[in-house]
Amino acid sequence: MSDPARPPSRGGWRALLPVLLLAVVAAAQVRLAKTAGLSPWKGGGFGMFSTTDDAGRRYVRVFVTAVDRSEEIAIAPSLEDAARRAAVLPRDAELSRLARRVVDRERRYQRQVDTVRIQTWRIEYARDTLAATTRMTREFVYRVDPPAQPRS
Amino acid sequence: MWIRLLSPAPETNAEDGVPDAVLTQTAIILLLRPLDIWWATPFVLAAACLALLFRPVRRAPLTWILVAVFVAIRIVAVWPLSDNHIYLLAYWCLGIGLALSGATPAATLAASSRWLLGGAFAMAVLWKAVLSPDYVDGRFFRVALLTDVRFADASLVFGGLSREQMAQNRAFLEPLPAGAELLDPPAFVEPPRLRAFAAVATWGGLILEGLIALTCLLPPKGRLDLARHGLLLAFCFTTYALAPVAGFGWLISTMGLAQCRPRQSWLRGSYVAVFILILMYSEVPWTRILADWTAR
Repeated sequence: MSDPARPPSRGGWRALLPVLLLAVVAAAQVRLAKTAGLSPWKGGGFGMFSTTDDAGRRYVRVFVTAVDRSEEIAIAPSLEDAARRAAVLPRDAELSRLARRVVDRERRYQRQVDTVRIQTWRIEYARDTLAATTRMTREFVYRVDPPAQPRS
Repeated sequence: MWIRLLSPAPETNAEDGVPDAVLTQTAIILLLRPLDIWWATPFVLAAACLALLFRPVRRAPLTWILVAVFVAIRIVAVWPLSDNHIYLLAYWCLGIGLALSGATPAATLAASSRWLLGGAFAMAVLWKAVLSPDYVDGRFFRVALLTDVRFADASLVFGGLSREQMAQNRAFLEPLPAGAELLDPPAFVEPPRLRAFAAVATWGGLILEGLIALTCLLPPKGRLDLARHGLLLAFCFTTYALAPVAGFGWLISTMGLAQCRPRQSWLRGSYVAVFILILMYSEVPWTRILADWTAR
Protein backbone atom coordinates (compact mmCIF):
# COMPACT_ATOMS: atom_id res chain seq x y z
CA MET A 1 0.00 0.00 0.00
CA SER A 2 1.30 3.45 -0.77
CA ASP A 3 1.72 6.04 1.95
CA PRO A 4 -1.26 8.45 1.99
CA ALA A 5 1.01 11.24 3.27
CA ARG A 6 3.25 10.89 0.22
CA PRO A 7 2.61 13.56 -2.43
CA PRO A 8 0.82 12.13 -5.48
CA SER A 9 3.11 10.87 -8.22
CA ARG A 10 3.53 12.91 -11.38
CA GLY A 11 3.77 9.66 -13.29
CA GLY A 12 7.09 10.24 -15.06
CA TRP A 13 7.46 10.14 -18.83
CA ARG A 14 4.64 7.64 -19.19
CA ALA A 15 2.18 10.23 -17.88
CA LEU A 16 3.75 13.11 -19.77
CA LEU A 17 4.03 11.62 -23.26
CA PRO A 18 0.28 11.73 -24.08
CA VAL A 19 -0.07 15.34 -22.93
CA LEU A 20 3.07 16.31 -24.84
CA LEU A 21 1.46 14.91 -27.97
CA LEU A 22 -1.71 16.84 -27.15
CA ALA A 23 0.30 20.06 -26.76
CA VAL A 24 2.20 19.59 -30.03
CA VAL A 25 -0.96 18.81 -32.01
CA ALA A 26 -2.85 21.69 -30.37
CA ALA A 27 -0.04 24.16 -31.14
CA ALA A 28 -0.01 23.00 -34.77
CA GLN A 29 -3.80 23.39 -34.88
CA VAL A 30 -3.65 26.99 -33.65
CA ARG A 31 -0.97 27.76 -36.22
CA LEU A 32 -2.99 26.17 -39.05
CA ALA A 33 -6.13 27.99 -37.92
CA LYS A 34 -4.37 31.34 -37.88
CA THR A 35 -2.25 30.93 -41.02
CA ALA A 36 -4.10 28.48 -43.28
CA GLY A 37 -7.74 29.03 -42.39
CA LEU A 38 -8.36 25.72 -40.58
CA SER A 39 -11.73 25.76 -38.83
CA PRO A 40 -11.12 26.12 -35.07
CA TRP A 41 -13.54 23.23 -34.49
CA LYS A 42 -11.18 20.76 -36.17
CA GLY A 43 -7.57 19.68 -35.99
CA GLY A 44 -7.21 18.64 -32.35
CA GLY A 45 -6.92 22.10 -30.77
CA PHE A 46 -10.15 21.82 -28.75
CA GLY A 47 -11.70 24.92 -30.31
CA MET A 48 -15.14 23.32 -30.66
CA PHE A 49 -18.12 25.33 -29.40
CA SER A 50 -15.96 28.47 -29.41
CA THR A 51 -17.00 30.07 -32.69
CA THR A 52 -19.63 30.04 -35.41
CA ASP A 53 -16.85 29.25 -37.89
CA ASP A 54 -17.61 25.53 -37.98
CA ALA A 55 -17.64 23.07 -40.87
CA GLY A 56 -21.39 23.52 -41.37
CA ARG A 57 -20.94 27.21 -42.11
CA ARG A 58 -18.19 26.72 -44.67
CA TYR A 59 -18.66 25.60 -48.24
CA VAL A 60 -16.89 25.53 -51.57
CA ARG A 61 -17.98 26.62 -55.04
CA VAL A 62 -16.33 24.92 -57.99
CA PHE A 63 -16.11 26.37 -61.49
CA VAL A 64 -14.70 24.57 -64.51
CA THR A 65 -13.57 26.14 -67.74
CA ALA A 66 -12.52 24.74 -71.09
CA VAL A 67 -12.49 25.94 -74.68
CA ASP A 68 -16.25 25.71 -75.03
CA ARG A 69 -17.46 25.90 -71.43
CA SER A 70 -17.27 27.98 -68.29
CA GLU A 71 -19.68 26.97 -65.55
CA GLU A 72 -20.18 26.28 -61.88
CA ILE A 73 -20.66 22.62 -61.12
CA ALA A 74 -22.66 21.04 -58.32
CA ILE A 75 -20.75 19.09 -55.69
CA ALA A 76 -21.52 15.48 -56.62
CA PRO A 77 -21.61 12.84 -53.84
CA SER A 78 -18.25 11.51 -55.05
CA LEU A 79 -16.72 14.96 -54.44
CA GLU A 80 -18.35 15.65 -51.07
CA ASP A 81 -15.56 14.26 -48.91
CA ALA A 82 -12.82 16.21 -50.71
CA ALA A 83 -15.03 19.33 -50.73
CA ARG A 84 -15.62 19.08 -46.98
CA ARG A 85 -11.88 18.73 -46.31
CA ALA A 86 -11.11 21.70 -48.56
CA ALA A 87 -13.75 23.85 -46.85
CA VAL A 88 -12.44 23.00 -43.38
CA LEU A 89 -8.79 23.51 -44.33
CA PRO A 90 -8.45 25.60 -47.53
CA ARG A 91 -4.75 24.93 -48.12
CA ASP A 92 -3.21 24.26 -51.51
CA ALA A 93 -2.94 20.53 -50.75
CA GLU A 94 -6.62 20.08 -49.89
CA LEU A 95 -7.80 22.35 -52.72
CA SER A 96 -5.58 20.57 -55.28
CA ARG A 97 -6.95 17.24 -54.10
CA LEU A 98 -10.51 18.45 -54.70
CA ALA A 99 -9.53 19.91 -58.08
CA ARG A 100 -7.96 16.60 -59.17
CA ARG A 101 -11.14 14.77 -58.16
CA VAL A 102 -13.18 17.25 -60.19
CA VAL A 103 -10.95 16.73 -63.23
CA ASP A 104 -11.15 12.93 -62.89
CA ARG A 105 -14.94 13.10 -62.67
CA GLU A 106 -15.32 15.46 -65.60
CA ARG A 107 -13.09 13.25 -67.75
CA ARG A 108 -15.07 10.19 -66.75
CA TYR A 109 -18.09 11.92 -68.27
CA GLN A 110 -16.09 12.87 -71.41
CA ARG A 111 -16.18 16.57 -70.54
CA GLN A 112 -13.20 18.76 -71.26
CA VAL A 113 -11.56 20.74 -68.43
CA ASP A 114 -8.72 23.22 -68.74
CA THR A 115 -9.03 25.01 -65.43
CA VAL A 116 -10.73 24.31 -62.11
CA ARG A 117 -11.42 27.37 -59.99
CA ILE A 118 -12.39 26.74 -56.38
CA GLN A 119 -13.75 29.38 -54.04
CA THR A 120 -14.05 28.76 -50.31
CA TRP A 121 -16.78 30.63 -48.47
CA ARG A 122 -18.01 31.03 -44.94
CA ILE A 123 -21.06 32.45 -43.22
CA GLU A 124 -20.53 35.27 -40.73
CA TYR A 125 -22.89 36.97 -38.29
CA ALA A 126 -22.91 40.66 -37.33
CA ARG A 127 -21.93 41.35 -33.73
CA ASP A 128 -25.22 42.84 -32.47
CA THR A 129 -27.90 42.21 -35.06
CA LEU A 130 -26.67 38.71 -36.01
CA ALA A 131 -27.39 39.56 -39.65
CA ALA A 132 -25.83 36.77 -41.70
CA THR A 133 -23.60 37.35 -44.69
CA THR A 134 -21.33 35.17 -46.79
CA ARG A 135 -17.69 35.97 -47.39
CA MET A 136 -15.24 34.39 -49.81
CA THR A 137 -12.14 33.34 -47.88
CA ARG A 138 -10.00 32.02 -50.71
CA GLU A 139 -9.90 31.52 -54.45
CA PHE A 140 -7.70 28.81 -55.90
CA VAL A 141 -7.01 28.09 -59.57
CA TYR A 142 -5.87 24.67 -60.74
CA ARG A 143 -4.62 24.39 -64.30
CA VAL A 144 -5.09 20.98 -65.83
CA ASP A 145 -2.26 19.22 -67.61
CA PRO A 146 -3.42 17.71 -70.91
CA PRO A 147 -3.92 13.95 -70.62
CA ALA A 148 -0.85 11.99 -71.76
CA GLN A 149 -1.11 10.71 -75.32
CA PRO A 150 -0.63 6.96 -75.74
CA ARG A 151 2.71 6.17 -77.40
CA SER A 152 2.41 4.65 -80.81
CA MET B 1 9.88 -5.38 -23.93
CA TRP B 2 7.21 -7.43 -25.78
CA ILE B 3 6.70 -9.58 -22.72
CA ARG B 4 6.13 -6.47 -20.62
CA LEU B 5 3.61 -5.08 -23.12
CA LEU B 6 1.75 -8.38 -23.33
CA SER B 7 1.66 -9.28 -19.66
CA PRO B 8 -1.36 -8.12 -17.65
CA ALA B 9 -0.78 -5.27 -15.19
CA PRO B 10 -1.00 -5.92 -11.41
CA GLU B 11 -4.08 -6.89 -9.41
CA THR B 12 -6.97 -4.47 -9.67
CA ASN B 13 -7.66 -4.05 -5.98
CA ALA B 14 -4.12 -3.20 -5.02
CA GLU B 15 -3.28 0.45 -4.35
CA ASP B 16 -1.13 0.67 -7.46
CA GLY B 17 -3.47 -1.19 -9.81
CA VAL B 18 -5.62 0.67 -12.34
CA PRO B 19 -9.27 0.05 -11.40
CA ASP B 20 -10.97 -2.35 -13.78
CA ALA B 21 -13.88 0.06 -14.15
CA VAL B 22 -11.62 2.58 -15.94
CA LEU B 23 -10.62 0.00 -18.53
CA THR B 24 -14.10 -1.45 -19.01
CA GLN B 25 -15.63 2.03 -19.38
CA THR B 26 -13.02 2.89 -22.02
CA ALA B 27 -13.84 -0.34 -23.89
CA ILE B 28 -17.55 0.54 -23.67
CA ILE B 29 -16.82 4.00 -25.18
CA LEU B 30 -15.12 2.30 -28.13
CA LEU B 31 -18.21 0.14 -28.63
CA LEU B 32 -20.72 2.96 -28.19
CA ARG B 33 -19.12 5.26 -30.75
CA PRO B 34 -17.22 3.10 -33.24
CA LEU B 35 -14.77 4.73 -35.62
CA ASP B 36 -16.34 5.30 -39.01
CA ILE B 37 -13.78 3.84 -41.40
CA TRP B 38 -14.34 0.25 -42.37
CA TRP B 39 -10.73 -0.93 -42.29
CA ALA B 40 -10.03 0.29 -38.74
CA THR B 41 -13.40 -0.24 -37.10
CA PRO B 42 -13.36 -4.07 -36.91
CA PHE B 43 -9.99 -4.13 -35.14
CA VAL B 44 -10.97 -1.54 -32.58
CA LEU B 45 -14.36 -3.17 -31.95
CA ALA B 46 -12.72 -6.59 -31.61
CA ALA B 47 -10.15 -5.21 -29.18
CA ALA B 48 -12.92 -3.56 -27.14
CA CYS B 49 -14.98 -6.79 -27.03
CA LEU B 50 -11.97 -8.89 -26.04
CA ALA B 51 -11.00 -6.33 -23.40
CA LEU B 52 -14.48 -6.50 -21.90
CA LEU B 53 -14.57 -10.30 -21.95
CA PHE B 54 -11.05 -11.22 -20.93
CA ARG B 55 -9.16 -9.69 -18.05
CA PRO B 56 -5.66 -10.43 -19.42
CA VAL B 57 -6.53 -8.61 -22.67
CA ARG B 58 -8.02 -5.71 -20.71
CA ARG B 59 -4.91 -5.31 -18.58
CA ALA B 60 -2.33 -5.85 -21.30
CA PRO B 61 -0.60 -2.58 -22.26
CA LEU B 62 -0.35 -3.69 -25.90
CA THR B 63 -4.14 -3.78 -26.27
CA TRP B 64 -4.44 -0.08 -25.51
CA ILE B 65 -1.36 0.98 -27.44
CA LEU B 66 -2.73 -0.81 -30.53
CA VAL B 67 -6.13 0.83 -30.07
CA ALA B 68 -4.39 4.22 -29.75
CA VAL B 69 -2.51 3.52 -33.00
CA PHE B 70 -5.73 2.62 -34.84
CA VAL B 71 -7.47 5.74 -33.55
CA ALA B 72 -4.48 7.84 -34.62
CA ILE B 73 -4.53 6.23 -38.07
CA ARG B 74 -8.22 7.11 -38.33
CA ILE B 75 -7.42 10.74 -37.48
CA VAL B 76 -4.78 10.85 -40.22
CA ALA B 77 -7.05 9.07 -42.74
CA VAL B 78 -9.90 11.56 -42.42
CA TRP B 79 -7.72 14.63 -41.74
CA PRO B 80 -8.80 17.30 -40.89
CA LEU B 81 -12.39 16.22 -40.22
CA SER B 82 -12.06 14.31 -36.90
CA ASP B 83 -13.76 15.80 -33.88
CA ASN B 84 -11.59 16.72 -30.92
CA HIS B 85 -12.75 13.91 -28.66
CA ILE B 86 -11.28 11.40 -31.13
CA TYR B 87 -7.87 12.99 -30.51
CA LEU B 88 -8.47 12.81 -26.77
CA LEU B 89 -9.49 9.15 -27.14
CA ALA B 90 -6.18 8.41 -28.89
CA TYR B 91 -4.14 10.16 -26.16
CA TRP B 92 -6.18 8.43 -23.46
CA CYS B 93 -5.69 4.92 -24.91
CA LEU B 94 -1.98 5.64 -25.26
CA GLY B 95 -1.95 6.88 -21.66
CA ILE B 96 -3.60 3.66 -20.47
CA GLY B 97 -1.14 1.51 -22.41
CA LEU B 98 1.87 3.39 -21.08
CA ALA B 99 0.55 3.41 -17.51
CA LEU B 100 -0.14 -0.33 -17.53
CA SER B 101 3.39 -1.01 -18.69
CA GLY B 102 4.95 0.89 -15.77
CA ALA B 103 5.61 0.10 -12.13
CA THR B 104 2.85 2.33 -10.67
CA PRO B 105 -0.01 2.11 -13.15
CA ALA B 106 -2.74 3.77 -11.08
CA ALA B 107 -0.66 6.79 -10.10
CA THR B 108 0.69 7.16 -13.64
CA LEU B 109 -2.76 6.95 -15.19
CA ALA B 110 -4.20 9.39 -12.64
CA ALA B 111 -1.44 11.89 -13.47
CA SER B 112 -1.83 11.29 -17.21
CA SER B 113 -5.58 11.83 -16.93
CA ARG B 114 -5.11 15.06 -14.97
CA TRP B 115 -2.59 16.43 -17.47
CA LEU B 116 -4.70 15.48 -20.47
CA LEU B 117 -7.85 17.05 -19.06
CA GLY B 118 -5.85 20.10 -18.02
CA GLY B 119 -4.38 20.45 -21.51
CA ALA B 120 -7.70 19.92 -23.30
CA PHE B 121 -9.62 22.35 -21.08
CA ALA B 122 -6.84 24.94 -21.20
CA MET B 123 -6.96 24.86 -25.00
CA ALA B 124 -10.75 25.11 -24.95
CA VAL B 125 -10.49 28.19 -22.71
CA LEU B 126 -7.75 29.70 -24.89
CA TRP B 127 -9.95 29.37 -27.97
CA LYS B 128 -13.06 30.71 -26.30
CA ALA B 129 -11.51 33.59 -24.35
CA VAL B 130 -8.66 34.71 -26.60
CA LEU B 131 -8.48 33.26 -30.09
CA SER B 132 -12.11 33.21 -31.16
CA PRO B 133 -13.57 36.48 -32.41
CA ASP B 134 -17.20 35.65 -31.64
CA TYR B 135 -17.41 33.77 -28.35
CA VAL B 136 -16.96 36.34 -25.58
CA ASP B 137 -19.37 38.79 -27.24
CA GLY B 138 -22.04 36.08 -27.00
CA ARG B 139 -22.51 35.59 -30.73
CA PHE B 140 -21.64 31.92 -30.77
CA PHE B 141 -24.37 30.75 -28.42
CA ARG B 142 -26.91 33.31 -29.69
CA VAL B 143 -26.51 31.80 -33.15
CA ALA B 144 -26.01 28.16 -32.11
CA LEU B 145 -29.12 28.07 -29.91
CA LEU B 146 -31.17 29.00 -32.97
CA THR B 147 -29.42 27.32 -35.88
CA ASP B 148 -28.06 24.09 -34.41
CA VAL B 149 -30.96 21.63 -34.48
CA ARG B 150 -29.40 19.78 -31.57
CA PHE B 151 -29.94 22.83 -29.32
CA ALA B 152 -33.35 23.73 -30.73
CA ASP B 153 -35.51 22.02 -28.11
CA ALA B 154 -33.46 23.48 -25.26
CA SER B 155 -33.97 26.94 -26.79
CA LEU B 156 -37.72 26.37 -26.85
CA VAL B 157 -37.80 25.17 -23.24
CA PHE B 158 -35.32 27.54 -21.61
CA GLY B 159 -35.39 30.46 -24.07
CA GLY B 160 -39.17 30.89 -24.14
CA LEU B 161 -39.39 30.76 -27.94
CA SER B 162 -42.37 29.36 -29.83
CA ARG B 163 -41.79 27.00 -32.76
CA GLU B 164 -43.01 29.72 -35.16
CA GLN B 165 -40.51 32.22 -33.75
CA MET B 166 -37.77 29.62 -34.07
CA ALA B 167 -38.61 29.09 -37.75
CA GLN B 168 -38.74 32.85 -38.29
CA ASN B 169 -35.35 33.34 -36.62
CA ARG B 170 -33.80 30.60 -38.72
CA ALA B 171 -35.04 32.34 -41.86
CA PHE B 172 -33.52 35.58 -40.57
CA LEU B 173 -30.18 33.86 -39.99
CA GLU B 174 -30.02 32.54 -43.55
CA PRO B 175 -27.08 34.33 -45.17
CA LEU B 176 -27.33 36.87 -47.95
CA PRO B 177 -24.52 37.66 -50.35
CA ALA B 178 -22.30 40.48 -49.07
CA GLY B 179 -23.97 43.84 -49.65
CA ALA B 180 -27.40 42.33 -50.44
CA GLU B 181 -30.56 43.32 -48.58
CA LEU B 182 -34.03 41.79 -48.60
CA LEU B 183 -36.94 44.05 -49.45
CA ASP B 184 -39.06 42.46 -46.72
CA PRO B 185 -36.67 40.79 -44.26
CA PRO B 186 -38.04 38.26 -41.75
CA ALA B 187 -38.32 39.59 -38.19
CA PHE B 188 -35.83 38.45 -35.57
CA VAL B 189 -37.29 37.58 -32.18
CA GLU B 190 -34.92 37.23 -29.26
CA PRO B 191 -36.82 37.13 -25.95
CA PRO B 192 -34.84 38.25 -22.84
CA ARG B 193 -34.96 34.65 -21.56
CA LEU B 194 -33.22 33.40 -24.71
CA ARG B 195 -30.60 36.13 -24.46
CA ALA B 196 -30.04 35.23 -20.78
CA PHE B 197 -29.80 31.52 -21.67
CA ALA B 198 -27.12 32.34 -24.25
CA ALA B 199 -25.23 34.48 -21.72
CA VAL B 200 -25.34 31.74 -19.07
CA ALA B 201 -24.13 29.17 -21.60
CA THR B 202 -21.33 31.51 -22.75
CA TRP B 203 -19.98 32.59 -19.38
CA GLY B 204 -20.95 29.53 -17.36
CA GLY B 205 -19.14 27.29 -19.83
CA LEU B 206 -16.06 29.47 -19.93
CA ILE B 207 -15.75 29.83 -16.15
CA LEU B 208 -16.35 26.13 -15.50
CA GLU B 209 -13.83 25.08 -18.13
CA GLY B 210 -11.28 27.58 -16.81
CA LEU B 211 -11.64 26.24 -13.27
CA ILE B 212 -11.28 22.66 -14.46
CA ALA B 213 -8.11 23.54 -16.39
CA LEU B 214 -6.67 25.24 -13.31
CA THR B 215 -7.48 22.45 -10.88
CA CYS B 216 -6.06 19.86 -13.28
CA LEU B 217 -2.83 21.71 -13.96
CA LEU B 218 -2.04 22.91 -10.43
CA PRO B 219 -0.21 20.41 -8.20
CA PRO B 220 -2.87 18.10 -6.69
CA LYS B 221 -3.55 18.65 -2.98
CA GLY B 222 -6.38 17.70 -0.59
CA ARG B 223 -9.12 20.26 -1.18
CA LEU B 224 -8.00 21.08 -4.71
CA ASP B 225 -8.37 17.39 -5.50
CA LEU B 226 -11.95 17.39 -4.28
CA ALA B 227 -12.70 20.66 -6.08
CA ARG B 228 -11.43 19.15 -9.34
CA HIS B 229 -13.69 16.13 -8.97
CA GLY B 230 -16.64 18.35 -8.08
CA LEU B 231 -16.05 20.57 -11.12
CA LEU B 232 -15.62 17.62 -13.49
CA LEU B 233 -18.83 16.02 -12.24
CA ALA B 234 -20.69 19.34 -12.46
CA PHE B 235 -19.38 19.86 -16.00
CA CYS B 236 -20.54 16.43 -17.15
CA PHE B 237 -23.88 16.76 -15.34
CA THR B 238 -24.76 20.14 -16.89
CA THR B 239 -22.95 20.29 -20.24
CA TYR B 240 -23.97 16.95 -21.68
CA ALA B 241 -27.60 17.50 -20.81
CA LEU B 242 -27.53 19.92 -23.75
CA ALA B 243 -24.28 19.45 -25.69
CA PRO B 244 -24.62 16.75 -28.32
CA VAL B 245 -21.19 15.16 -27.81
CA ALA B 246 -21.71 12.21 -25.51
CA GLY B 247 -18.38 10.71 -26.57
CA PHE B 248 -16.55 13.61 -24.96
CA GLY B 249 -18.61 13.29 -21.77
CA TRP B 250 -17.93 9.58 -21.44
CA LEU B 251 -14.21 10.18 -21.85
CA ILE B 252 -14.18 12.94 -19.24
CA SER B 253 -16.10 10.85 -16.72
CA THR B 254 -13.79 7.88 -17.32
CA MET B 255 -10.70 10.07 -16.97
CA GLY B 256 -12.14 11.49 -13.76
CA LEU B 257 -12.73 7.96 -12.50
CA ALA B 258 -9.06 7.18 -13.12
CA GLN B 259 -8.12 9.98 -10.70
CA CYS B 260 -10.11 8.51 -7.78
CA ARG B 261 -8.22 6.90 -4.93
CA PRO B 262 -9.20 3.36 -3.85
CA ARG B 263 -10.99 4.59 -0.73
CA GLN B 264 -13.08 7.17 -2.57
CA SER B 265 -15.80 4.69 -3.42
CA TRP B 266 -18.57 7.33 -3.36
CA LEU B 267 -16.62 9.41 -5.87
CA ARG B 268 -16.05 6.40 -8.11
CA GLY B 269 -19.77 5.65 -7.91
CA SER B 270 -20.54 9.27 -8.90
CA TYR B 271 -18.39 9.00 -12.02
CA VAL B 272 -20.03 5.72 -13.03
CA ALA B 273 -23.45 7.31 -12.42
CA VAL B 274 -22.50 10.32 -14.56
CA PHE B 275 -21.27 7.99 -17.32
CA ILE B 276 -24.69 6.31 -17.36
CA LEU B 277 -26.45 9.68 -17.08
CA ILE B 278 -24.65 10.90 -20.22
CA LEU B 279 -25.83 7.73 -21.96
CA MET B 280 -29.38 8.64 -20.91
CA TYR B 281 -28.92 12.22 -22.10
CA SER B 282 -27.77 10.99 -25.50
CA GLU B 283 -30.52 8.41 -25.95
CA VAL B 284 -33.54 10.06 -24.29
CA PRO B 285 -34.67 13.24 -26.11
CA TRP B 286 -35.62 14.88 -22.83
CA THR B 287 -35.56 18.48 -24.08
CA ARG B 288 -37.89 17.52 -26.97
CA ILE B 289 -40.26 15.79 -24.57
CA LEU B 290 -40.18 18.86 -22.32
CA ALA B 291 -40.63 21.21 -25.30
CA ASP B 292 -43.65 19.21 -26.53
CA TRP B 293 -45.10 19.13 -23.02
CA THR B 294 -44.65 22.86 -22.40
CA ALA B 295 -46.10 23.70 -25.85
CA ARG B 296 -49.42 21.98 -24.98
